[in-house]
Amino acid sequence: MESTATYSEAELVRGLTARDEKVFSHIYDLYSPALFGVIVKTLNDTGAANDVLQEVFLKIWRNADSYDPSKGRLFTWMLNIARNAAIDVLRSKSFKQEQKTSYNTDELYAIKGIITEQPGNEHLGFSKVLEKLTKEQRTLIDLAYYKGCTQEEIARIMDIPLGTVKTRMRNAINQLRTIINTSNI
Amino acid sequence: MDPQHVISSGIIELYTAGIASEKEIKELEAAMAQFPEVAAEVAAYQRAMEAYVQMQSLTPDPQAKSFVFSNLNNQTIMQENTLTPDPSAPIVSIERPKGARWKWIASVAAVLLLFSLVLNYVFFNRYKIFKEYKDKYESLLLSQNSILSKSNLYKARLEQMQESMNVIQDPKVLKVTMPGTKAFPTALATVFWNRESQQVYLKVNNLPEPAADKQYQLWAIVDGKPVDMGVFEMGDTVNLLQKMKITGKAQMFAVTLEKKGGAASPTMEQMYVAGKIPG
Repeated sequence: MESTATYSEAELVRGLTARDEKVFSHIYDLYSPALFGVIVKTLNDTGAANDVLQEVFLKIWRNADSYDPSKGRLFTWMLNIARNAAIDVLRSKSFKQEQKTSYNTDELYAIKGIITEQPGNEHLGFSKVLEKLTKEQRTLIDLAYYKGCTQEEIARIMDIPLGTVKTRMRNAINQLRTIINTSNI
Repeated sequence: MDPQHVISSGIIELYTAGIASEKEIKELEAAMAQFPEVAAEVAAYQRAMEAYVQMQSLTPDPQAKSFVFSNLNNQTIMQENTLTPDPSAPIVSIERPKGARWKWIASVAAVLLLFSLVLNYVFFNRYKIFKEYKDKYESLLLSQNSILSKSNLYKARLEQMQESMNVIQDPKVLKVTMPGTKAFPTALATVFWNRESQQVYLKVNNLPEPAADKQYQLWAIVDGKPVDMGVFEMGDTVNLLQKMKITGKAQMFAVTLEKKGGAASPTMEQMYVAGKIPG
């Protein structure tokens, strides 16, 4: 779905490494909503997320040469940059201090609270996916993928043993893959 | 490594979720490089995850894009500056302050090093002297302690002697010498008996050291009947007067060897010493 009528993935990569602003503008339009979605989900702060998104795209532009097509798709690479940047900000001291009102008790529990109270996105097919994942499976995926929590942190937040985190996470990811494959999104 | 084993191990799911350990990530990436089927499996999981992510897309602030594009060139210039020197820039003016700064840092470092060396020397010498005094102090402390404990020992012994002297010098105290019996002619002991307080003391002059399960016992013979005056210790205590039981009346004192703790009646064959009260 990331390929468009105008550019193939290979053309996007070539344009990016050549620092072609026109191609980069296209890349921005194509991927910024997904990356912004990730950052917002991680930080739960639209203002901060806009700042991080700008940094992420500047990073992508500057570090275009470090992208290796043999290691994965361009979107995967960009997504990792966005996730890492957002999680770095989430875990930074200054961000925690700004968010102090919502992080006044145990910050990890606060994270859980943020996840569970996030409103459902009305994106096409998303509600379909959501109704096939249990609330716990969504929380597991969100803590790991968006909040960058370790297995130990997840075990603490969800109050389940470490071994159970692994088992349930595998089930959640497998379930997600099955849903995505069968719904042909 | 077996690719099927890697696929079924569950590592790929944890890797996709972002919670695989560093070791697991390394192993999986090695397997991906080696086996195309593992790489394909990882890619399939990633696509599912990315589809999930894309479903949650949000529209960013439109101003964000213009900010990014207005700063692309700034960043590019900055990046080029840090990577390659600008050929149009005068080389000398860049080199000179840089060189001067390094010279300045180097000279400060050298001075600090020298200063540190001098301090090291001074403090090391002080430490050596200090250690010498510490050793001396410790040995003095040790000898003082040993003198103190010896002095306490002497003091205790003196007090015991004083006590013994007081008993012996008391005019009310009667001295009863108990020579050895026929069976033990070399044995000798003395009873000091305060007739007013009725207290009996014993001084061992010469008695053989008994076996471990035996103890000497003093008896008073009152109107022909033996009365227990208690058992007594040997060893170092023989140098002192030992306080025994009290008796108001006695015609004779004797010592027998009994089982440890004493006996109810004396074993006559084991009588070592016996002495009549004079008068």
